[in-house]
Formats: sequence, C-alpha cells, structure tokens
Amino acid sequence: MDRALHARLETRFGELLLGPVRQRHDETEMRIGPGSVPEVLRALHDEPGLRFELLADLCGVDTGTDLQAVYHLWSETTGDWLRVVADGLPREAPRVPSITFLWKGAEWLEREAYDMFGIVFEGNRDLRRIYMPDDYTSFPLRKDFHLPDDASRSPGGGVRPMEQVGRPADATDETARRRSNAS
Amino acid sequence: MALTPEGTGATQAPGAGATPGAGTPDGPVPDGPVPATPATPDGPTVADDLAEAIVVPNALWSPENPGAYGGVPLDRTPELFLRRVEAEGIGRRDDARWGALEIVPTTADLVLDLIRANSLWPLLSGLACCAIEMMSTATSRNDIDRWGHFPFRASPRQADVLIVAGTLTTKMAGPLIRLWEEMPEPKWCVALGDCTCSGGRYKRSYSTVQGIDRVLPVDVYVPGCPPRPEGLLYAMMKLQQLIKDRRGHWRERQIGPSVPAGV
Amino acid sequence: MTTPTRPSLDDPNLTIPVDHAGIFEPIPMARTERQQEFYTLRDGEMLLNLGPQHPATHGVLRIVLKINGEQVVDLDPVIGYLHRGVEKLCENADYHQAICYTDPLEYIASLFCEWSPVMAFEKLLDVEVPRRAEYIRVLAGELNRIASHALYVGFFALDLGGITPILWAYLERDEIVEMLAALTGAKLLFNYFRIGGVNGDLSHDFMSRVGDWMSRAGRQVEAGTALLNENEILVRRARGIGVLDRETALRMAVTGPNLRASGIPWDVRRAHPYSVYPELEFDIPTRREGDSLARYLLRVDEVKQSLRIIDQCLHRLPDGPVMAKLPRLVRPRPGRAFAAIEGPRGMYATYAISDGTDQPFRMRIHDPSFIHLQLLGLLTPGNLIADTMAINASLDPVMGGVDK
Repeated sequence: MDRALHARLETRFGELLLGPVRQRHDETEMRIGPGSVPEVLRALHDEPGLRFELLADLCGVDTGTDLQAVYHLWSETTGDWLRVVADGLPREAPRVPSITFLWKGAEWLEREAYDMFGIVFEGNRDLRRIYMPDDYTSFPLRKDFHLPDDASRSPGGGVRPMEQVGRPADATDETARRRSNAS
Repeated sequence: MALTPEGTGATQAPGAGATPGAGTPDGPVPDGPVPATPATPDGPTVADDLAEAIVVPNALWSPENPGAYGGVPLDRTPELFLRRVEAEGIGRRDDARWGALEIVPTTADLVLDLIRANSLWPLLSGLACCAIEMMSTATSRNDIDRWGHFPFRASPRQADVLIVAGTLTTKMAGPLIRLWEEMPEPKWCVALGDCTCSGGRYKRSYSTVQGIDRVLPVDVYVPGCPPRPEGLLYAMMKLQQLIKDRRGHWRERQIGPSVPAGV
Repeated sequence: MTTPTRPSLDDPNLTIPVDHAGIFEPIPMARTERQQEFYTLRDGEMLLNLGPQHPATHGVLRIVLKINGEQVVDLDPVIGYLHRGVEKLCENADYHQAICYTDPLEYIASLFCEWSPVMAFEKLLDVEVPRRAEYIRVLAGELNRIASHALYVGFFALDLGGITPILWAYLERDEIVEMLAALTGAKLLFNYFRIGGVNGDLSHDFMSRVGDWMSRAGRQVEAGTALLNENEILVRRARGIGVLDRETALRMAVTGPNLRASGIPWDVRRAHPYSVYPELEFDIPTRREGDSLARYLLRVDEVKQSLRIIDQCLHRLPDGPVMAKLPRLVRPRPGRAFAAIEGPRGMYATYAISDGTDQPFRMRIHDPSFIHLQLLGLLTPGNLIADTMAINASLDPVMGGVDK
C-alpha cells in the first residue's frame, strides 16, 4: 500500500476522479468517467513521475446496473498495482475510447470485452467478436445472460441448427429396440 | 497493512452470512439485489420441444444388400448417393463387405479386418488438454506404435480413426464435422476425455457441445479428465476388438444423445 | 424464434443447404477497418487458410494468411475454437469450485493457472497461507515450469520439422509429471492448490523421487538441448526470425520469456514478489536479440534457474500445516483483488470481485498466451510461410489459455 502513490494520484487527477483513491493490500484503485480514459491513461503512461508503462490487464465488468471497463497497470516507481476503473457505462450503449494508441496489445483485450459485454471501444480498428462466432447475438458475460440449471440442455443450443439438443432416446424407443436387436 | 479497505466503515466477518450487495461503498454491487431471473433471458432460448435424435442407418452395409458398397460416378455426387446406392443396388466388387458375410466371415475378410485393426492411423486433431495425453500416448513412454497407430496423419483423407481429444465448442463443431466427412470409409471415432463423452466439467457452458455424440457417431468412449495414456491404449485395443468382431455402430450409427430421458 | 428442424434422410425433398449442414464457415464480411484492409488483395496476393486443424498450431488456432508467393504479407489469427466460457462458469460456482475450472486453461502449466486465482481469493478472504504450503507451491510450480519448458523445446523442434526432440521432451515431461502425480494425484490437470494452501502434504516417496531426479536433471537438460543448440537447421530457421524489439514488446503488453528475450528483465517474481520468492536466490535470464532463437535459448536458461529454486526449496522446507483452516462455503467481504504470478509463458493474473455471497461476482482471468498471439500478426509479415510456424512455436501459445 503506497501512500505516496495515493497522494500523487489525488493531486494529479483530483477533478477527474469519481471518488477517493482506495487502497487495499498491494492495489491502488481509482475511478474515472469513461470520457477521461485516454487523458488519464496517457498521463499515467507518459509522465515521468508516474510511468505506468506496463498494461497488465483490461477487462469489462457488469455490476448489475452498469458496465465498467477496468485497466490494471504496473510501474517501476511504485510497488502497487494500479487499477483504473472507468465507471458508469450505460447498459444499452456502453462506449469507451480505446487505448490502442498507447498499447497496441490492448486491441484483442478490447475485442474480448466487446465480445463478452458489448462495450464498444471507440478507436479500436478491429472491433469484432473474438471468441464467439461472428453472427452471435448475445453478450455472454452480462448478468442477464443466464446459464441454465439443467445440465443436459446446453444454452448454446438453438442458435445454430447444429447446436440443437437432440432428445435422448427413451428406453422404449424404436432406436433402442433396433440397437438391442443389432448387437 | 490495514485489512479494511479505506473509506468504508462496514466490517463483516467472512463466512458469517454476510448480506449480498449490502451497499458498502467499495463494492461495485448496487444497493438493490441483482435480479435473479429476468422475465426473458437474453441469449439463446432452449426449445422445449427437442428435435428427434437422428438415426442414420448405414445403408452402405446391410444384410439385405450386400453388394451396395461402391463409389458413385462424379456426375451423381450432388445427390444423396447413400440413398441412390441403396435404391439401385449398384453391384460393384465390395472390398468392405460387412453385410451378409459378417455372419460367416471368409478368410479374406478376416485378413482385411486384421489389417485394418492393426494399422489404424489416427487423425492428428487434438483440441485441448486431452491432446497432450494423446501425444503422450504416442511418444516413447507409452508407445502406441506397438499397435501400429503411430502415424498421426495430418490429412483426413489418409486417416482411419478420429480421436477427438479435447473439448468441442460450437465454433469448432463445424470444422470437426467437416473433417469427419472428409475421412473416407471405413472410419471410426473415439471420444477421448470427459468433455467429449458428455460435456464433462463444461456441462453448463454456453459454448460447448455436450458430448460429441450429439454431432458424430462415436465408437469408443474414454472417460477421464484427462484419461491416462493407458486408458487411451485400452480404448484403442477395444476398438481393434470391435473391428475384428464387426460389432459396434457400423450399421446403425445414432447421431444424438443416447442417454435415456429420465437420466 | 422458429426453431429449424433437423434434416432427415428419409425426406424425399431433402437438399442440404450449406447453412444447415453447418460444415462451412463463411468468409467473414469485412466489418472493421482492419478487416477491410486485410481482405483487399493487391495483385499477386492470395489468402491461405491455416485451418483450425493443423499439425503445427499448438491447438485449435486458425490463421488466415495473406501471401504473395511464399512471402507473408499479412496475417489474421482467428481464435475462439476452444472458448469454453470459464469466466461465466466461475461466476456460477463457489470459490473452491471456481479453482477447478481454471486449470484446464493452460493445461500444460496448470498449477500456474490455479495459482493466481487462489492468491486473489486469499486476498479477498485475508487468509494467510502457511509457509510450508508456500514452499510446496513453489516447489510444485517450478517442477511444472520445467515440464512446460521441456514441452516447449519439443514442440519448437517439432514445428520446425524435428521428430526426435519431442520424444525426448515427452520422456522428460512424463518423468516430472509422474512425480507430480505422486504428489497431487493427477498427471495433467493437477487441481492441487486450494485457497489457503495446498491439498496434501509431501510424502517420502515424492521426496526421494525428486531428489533422485534432481541429481540427474542438470545433465539431462544439457544432453537434451545440446542436440538442438548447435543444429544448423534449427539455428538458421530461428535466428533473426520474428525480431521483437523493446518498445514494441512494451506496447504489446508482452510479459514473461517473450519480454525477457527482447531485453527487458521484467519478471513478476522480482518486480512484484509473491509467495516465498523474496527468500530464494535465482537470476532472471535476459537476452537482447529478441528473435525466435533468443526466446528458445532463454527458456532453456530458465530451466536451469528453476532447478536452483527447487534445490533451495528442498533444503529450506519448513514444518507446519499445509492448508489454512477455511469453511467449506466461503463468503468474503465485498471487495476486489488482483493477483499476478509469473508462469512459464508470462504473467498470469486474476481480478476477482466479491459481492459477499458464496460465488465470485466476477472472475477475470488474464492469460499471457492471449496477448502473445497478437504478436503473430506483428512479427510474421515479411517472412515466409514456414517462418510463421517458427514464430508461432517460439511464442509458445497454448490455445486453452488463449480462448479461455
């Protein structure tokens, strides 16, 4: 828990933060609005006192009401991980500016967040689905996408003809009788 | 190192039945409970009336028409040659006569069976973790070359058995079925690992096929996560026995889950 | 939504349209800028599909190559053929159950895949891990790292055409993994780490086997790699191919041996120490060239460092419990935790959010292979088709981790 980092972040980004900078164990967390993402991350990356040059992770989070985009950064100036949370993305049209201008490796991470949550990263040159097929219509990691309780019926069934679940053959069925005759 | 997060006064002992979403300022959870079941789930709906399991009678070999096996001229390939062959009974020399002769095998067929069984060339198609165990079966310590199965062919045209090793996802199901259809007869299929037998640990997942017998006709199932190489060796020996005994799914391959409804 | 009926062979009017057969994947429409640029073919260029089934793509990876003759002009990896929805499944399972979903991610290094979620949950629960458990974790982890690097050497040579090294690599790996099976009960998906420690203590059988193996290990590593380090074919196919320079490596968020082979000595075990690594003495090998050969040689150096660490662990193993006492159903306080470790491929990290219930609210798994596969599109253009495989093998992606 780096107190000096807390002070530095509060003084540098005071008006852009949506709440106080919080620290727990070895992580420091700051919350910003989605519009300030490029400015804040560029400052974190470039400024000599901060130098958060390593992007550790980029993900989306569905809090139940809103979506968030969460960035984890590492710098050699501090012993803490820095978590930047872009909070308050509306569910129907979540948009965040992309950070691929700073880290080209964020391209696939943003694609994954788009695929799983529907968060549109403006400025990402290749924003398309990465895990699910291109014509998939849902965003699986959202909280309103439910996995069913019945283990034998896969929720993947029904979207594509091949995924449709066939009915298990009953013991009295024609097929079972034929099978037992054949063997 | 303080244990409580800064800026919050709420302390709750873990494991003491903490109320979910209790509105602590550092939790991302809103004050109200997250709706457990929405009115209409977003995402693919599961049809209540499930389609019938497809039973594909293997019309190439049946006791009624032993001479049915044979290729189809190129000008007929757009049509379903299976049914045409069955209807017209193209009489060609049958090298893969399983039909009437499975009751009275001749010496030639016995030799053919032995040849096929002892030189099954698997297709090199490892999908996930079970592929590592499949390759471990192929390498020196558990040497599958002792049974003649070492050449893992990269091309499906040259392969005899498709060992599906690893979780099959709905995105990969298309290419895998294409590989299966590109393999020439006679061909067999081995389901390696729990994910291919029944969906395994991904039973509730939204993107996996719950067992490859929903899309492919399987001859031998190998349970395990991952099954030991000895398990795969046993399965290949079982498959060899199936080939020599001419048992199994040849005549009637059921595509579709074979678990009864009550289970 | 009308549910399409399945085709039946008895239907006299049956035709099998392409969609229903489902055996063809349509060429994607160029929806994004990058795709439009990719699918615009200039004179002499063609698209070649290195399909999801290919002997050399480390799993189900589909690469669409745009080639001009033999030279690769551009490259588009298509992933998702092994996406199993692990993050969603973890949200629907308990904390202890969620650990079980994580080890098939990078199945070759499965202890590392379990390690970072376990650390994240321990942070959420404020659980302190006993020192003996930490040492056992490091010991088992380093054994797994050596096994993973042995397979890397084997696959690297296999993709470049050599069949012998993979057989030797599997001999090495099988021996190590049988030791770990004596310890954990499984050969590949160990499921050994628990929140608060490990599953079971070491046994005499395991210790004697490890000691016996350690006395031979150094020489076995030397013998195995001597075959390849001086091999002209391997060296000429890997030297200077796929050069990754420092700035690009940082911009692509690369971690692990791929980063260290480009000259940046960054290792989570030293940059952000965890477990008992601060007490252990080991070096961070680094190379400056950044080509495929450097990535390969670096991993061989790492194996030697891992042997040092195992030696120290065996000598310093303290007594004590191997697991902290935790209830069956754990309910951490609402909060968030991020934990990162250094695995054989790079930095494995987990970001876990708890909402006070017995199931994780969000469990985000960050996997290094996912990041490194982007390098393929960056490093390959300009090289030949055969170099695609050399670069792919040197980056060491494991598709289970890429696709989650």
